[in-house]
Amino acid sequence: MEPVLLRARGVSDSRSIATYLAAGGYEGWKKALGMGPDAVTKEVLDSELRGRGGAGFPTGRKWSFVPKDHPGPRYLVCNADESEPGTFKDREIIEYDPHQVVEGVAIASFAIKANTAYIYIRGEFVRWARILEDAIAEARQRGFVGKNVMGSGFDLDVWVHRGAGAYICGEETALLESIEGKRGFPRLKPPFPAVVGVFGQPTVINNVETLACVPHIIVRGAAWFASIGRPKNTGPKLFCVSGHVNRPGVFELPLGVTFREIIEEHAGGVRGGRQLKAFFPGGSSAPILTAAEVDTMADFDACAAAGTMLGSGGIIVFDDTVDMVDVADNVAHFYAHESCGQCTPCREGSDWCMDILDRIVAGHGRPADPDTLLRICRFSSAGMTICPLGDAFALPISSIVNKYRSEFERRIASATPLPQKKQPVLPWAGPCPGFGI
Amino acid sequence: MPKLTIDGHEVEVAAGTNLIEAARAAGVAIPYFCYHPYLTVVGQCRICMVEIAGQPRLALGCSTPAADGMVVKVETSERAREAREAVMEFLLANHPLDCPVCDQAGECLLQDHSMREQGSEFATHMTETRRTFPGYERRLIGPHVVQNQNRCIHCSRCIRFTREISGTAALTYKSRGNSTFIDTFDGSAFDDPMSACAADVCPVGALTVREFRFRKRSWKLLSTPSVCPGCSIGCNIFIDHHERVVYRFTPRENPAINATWLCDHGRFLAEPLNEQAYLDPQHRTGGQTIRVGWGEALAGIAAELKDASGLRVVASANLSNEELFLARELFGRHLKGEIAVPVAPGEPRKMRNGKGEWLHATDPHANSAGARRLGLDLVDGEGLSRFLYGGAGLTLILDPGAHPFLASPEALQLLRVGTTVVWARREHPAAHAATWLLPTPSLAGNEGTFTSSAGAVQRFAQAFAAPGTVHRTATGAMSPSCPTIAVPWGPPGEARPLWLTLTALARELGVPPLDLASPADVFALMARKDKAFAGLAWETLGGLQQHESFRERQHVG
Amino acid sequence: MSTRPIVAASPEALQIVTFDATMEARIAELLPRYPTRRAAILPLLWLCQERFGWISPGVVRAVAARLGESPAFVEGVVSFYTMYQTAPPARYVLQVCTTLSCAWCGGRELVAHLKERLGISFGEKTPDGVFQLVGVQCLGACGEAPVIQINDDYYENLDIAKLDAILDELAGRS
Repeated sequence: MEPVLLRARGVSDSRSIATYLAAGGYEGWKKALGMGPDAVTKEVLDSELRGRGGAGFPTGRKWSFVPKDHPGPRYLVCNADESEPGTFKDREIIEYDPHQVVEGVAIASFAIKANTAYIYIRGEFVRWARILEDAIAEARQRGFVGKNVMGSGFDLDVWVHRGAGAYICGEETALLESIEGKRGFPRLKPPFPAVVGVFGQPTVINNVETLACVPHIIVRGAAWFASIGRPKNTGPKLFCVSGHVNRPGVFELPLGVTFREIIEEHAGGVRGGRQLKAFFPGGSSAPILTAAEVDTMADFDACAAAGTMLGSGGIIVFDDTVDMVDVADNVAHFYAHESCGQCTPCREGSDWCMDILDRIVAGHGRPADPDTLLRICRFSSAGMTICPLGDAFALPISSIVNKYRSEFERRIASATPLPQKKQPVLPWAGPCPGFGI
Repeated sequence: MPKLTIDGHEVEVAAGTNLIEAARAAGVAIPYFCYHPYLTVVGQCRICMVEIAGQPRLALGCSTPAADGMVVKVETSERAREAREAVMEFLLANHPLDCPVCDQAGECLLQDHSMREQGSEFATHMTETRRTFPGYERRLIGPHVVQNQNRCIHCSRCIRFTREISGTAALTYKSRGNSTFIDTFDGSAFDDPMSACAADVCPVGALTVREFRFRKRSWKLLSTPSVCPGCSIGCNIFIDHHERVVYRFTPRENPAINATWLCDHGRFLAEPLNEQAYLDPQHRTGGQTIRVGWGEALAGIAAELKDASGLRVVASANLSNEELFLARELFGRHLKGEIAVPVAPGEPRKMRNGKGEWLHATDPHANSAGARRLGLDLVDGEGLSRFLYGGAGLTLILDPGAHPFLASPEALQLLRVGTTVVWARREHPAAHAATWLLPTPSLAGNEGTFTSSAGAVQRFAQAFAAPGTVHRTATGAMSPSCPTIAVPWGPPGEARPLWLTLTALARELGVPPLDLASPADVFALMARKDKAFAGLAWETLGGLQQHESFRERQHVG
Repeated sequence: MSTRPIVAASPEALQIVTFDATMEARIAELLPRYPTRRAAILPLLWLCQERFGWISPGVVRAVAARLGESPAFVEGVVSFYTMYQTAPPARYVLQVCTTLSCAWCGGRELVAHLKERLGISFGEKTPDGVFQLVGVQCLGACGEAPVIQINDDYYENLDIAKLDAILDELAGRS
């Protein structure tokens, strides 16, 4: 398909506003201001655009949750935290076409009547934060951002807000806590952000890629957008392919192509002439798929039907040299490191899984381990935790245990017992301090 | 008002009530750690999971409001029970097996809930090495609080307490995930006037009170409802004691005054209650001080009172209403003496009530309001000095701690003139000037009421009496608040509460209306005779409530 | 790529911290963006880290005082986020991605090589204070694996030879 979101990739000086305008940029913003917020929301609703950050929630519907009669300010937040392993599409968009993001932010803000928008970008993306700041400054200079935008009477401020190294701040409510200056602790829901969000005001949080779609929807129409993909799974999607492929990268394709097509045709197939063994279809938070499942269609509903998730569309490919127990261990380390620590199952369970898997990898696995892992995963998901980070480690780890159980059992069968540390006779450390009593 | 069913029990609650409180009203206990009725809801511990009919996922009791027609299953839901059993397993996975050496044992929510939520057949699946926090196992973080981070279940109650109640925001989480720990800024001292409340709210032994460390097993303690003597706010407390030794004060719930809090100043007035310098009545005669029996002492003092011209009584704003009333009636009305109640300003104190409102006091006395309402004369140090100068005959000092002036050399000189009767408990210079010295017990050995600065008349009960000291009501029954079991330890001697001595003197002096058998009887008389207490009844006075809702401890008695 | 080295102020210099006119000017730009002062904590901490190289307790106290928070609160925020340095860092902080695609596309070999070449492990600094080794989670550049972030900059598609050349250049500049 002809590129939409990545059409600026390869164009010289693509980041400048002059280039963007010459290619028809900010026409969507102008048109939206003329349409009015309700018509804009309806257009996005009709396009059936679903969130590209991982949850796949219908974007127009999320916008419509903002209470119509709320007297105070509303906020739009662009989620550029991009920390899901295997995902690197948002930085691709920002690298080549930051104005596309700014325009999407502007239109979305207008649709929900937010006069302030924050772009929350992960702390590590120093370069891309600066690119966005430069683009916003250019847009402000040309009157696309600021007071009384293009004489419409609508005021808009857009600020870049950097995170500081926490995957959990990609979860929308933890993101809001982080903007508010706190530790990134996800909030209980309800209330939902559209009603009670940042600073207690109605807030819509959308992913970078989701917002990048919006100007195109406004300019070319909902019907055009919906003509790509299939009903309820519409539009172009940026698929990130990494791991054991010949051509890792970001590929813009219609939702619904198969993973086989993405991996074999676009990413050049498994590298080194090896065989595909397994792949994550949508970041590491999704249940893993085996090589036998590579003909699954890469869209939201097809992945759900296949027992996994499209998520962010971050495809991580493993060839047949990979030991799946090691993969599970690596995944456990990620979530144990990123768990915010608030709630019991995730805080204890992620660490516990990591310890068990470390022990198995070190050659000291025990027969009970696979079932213990499944038990931990069972009680860290499906509502046991405050936020989906519990599910984010429970689903991949339990899927690996279930689909590759024999690899676990083989390792455990050849395991040796943990070396017993000879309990030393400790030197007496002195009497209890007593604390002056 | 929503009407809902919980484990088959129907209950109607106020709109907005969460399921934990609704269940409590229905007689069903939903376990919780991070929930606290006076702190914000965070839904972190995940132990309060219940099943709501029609909802595919389990719900949290703490953050789900009761809705009309809701059908909630707590014990009767297999799914919810399995979930809670698993959450317990997660909490215990890294929790050290410290019960034998942990002060929290016996009043530990982790012990309590694990006994209920994990079946007797349950065995943990956790066989990894527990995560520990080296250097944080016995850490004195402030003057009163000891930290053991290994025991922490990360409920955030302590942090929320310092942010939402005391306002110091002195405690915080540090780090992330399973290496999260509690600390102060840069490891500095935990500087908070209510710091020990952080140890109270800690459901486990991660934060404990230094002064109580290793001193007594909680299940040995008897808890007697009382009122804090530290200032005029009148926070409600429990005196926790065993074998007639006071081990600690803990807060007692009163939403109007102190919610479930107690400031450090008041809390640590507990230990001094165990001081008993004077054990028996003493009489200085012929240059010598001799111990005498109560009978002889009362007879001697009564004789002085009969003959006295110029009777001066220094009362105290620390005395109970009953004692002040008896003093006023006996010494003021009948014997035509003069009574002064000295008061001195103190350090500013504050407390937060159940609505989050701040109550302030600079009055260090427990019962100035009571003295004022009884129409007694409140004087400052200068006024007290003039009052004592005026006396040449019989001077009664009902409480030498009433004012710092009473310890001064000037005061002692005055007290040595004429006959002086002193009631005392702790070592005090005025005792050396006494002609007659009568030992009194502490707050723990007394019974009566105080009036707070906000006008609340509150009862405090007697924890124990000196051996051999029994008081009986008019019907001859033993006063129910006094468990007089003669034991060979605890405060020895024969201290008797002031009200008992005053009623005995009334009997000696032939003033039958004041010959009363108990503080309850005194109160009944006070309520009849005095406008300030009109309409109040001892049995229904506030001050002894022990809301089961917040008694999270098990103990005997 | 010319990665700027970190110049870390000494612990003594960062015991008592005051904000100079330049800092105050930037704070004045920041504050109006948010309806609460507290929301300026993360951006202000970034300004401080740029200015001083790391976040000492003195910096925490200054930020807390400036924004009306308790120092404990601010310290709690600092300790949650991995990118705020709470000890003087080396001139070049080598943040090596250890997650999935990077690990399986040569990242683990890079780690082994770094440990050997520099003689340090994760969390440690070389004695000359030039390099510090940190293991990090997914940097969001998986298509260019293996990836190492050095201070602010991403170094991608690495192998041992390229990495050695980069380290030689950075070490040479020191």
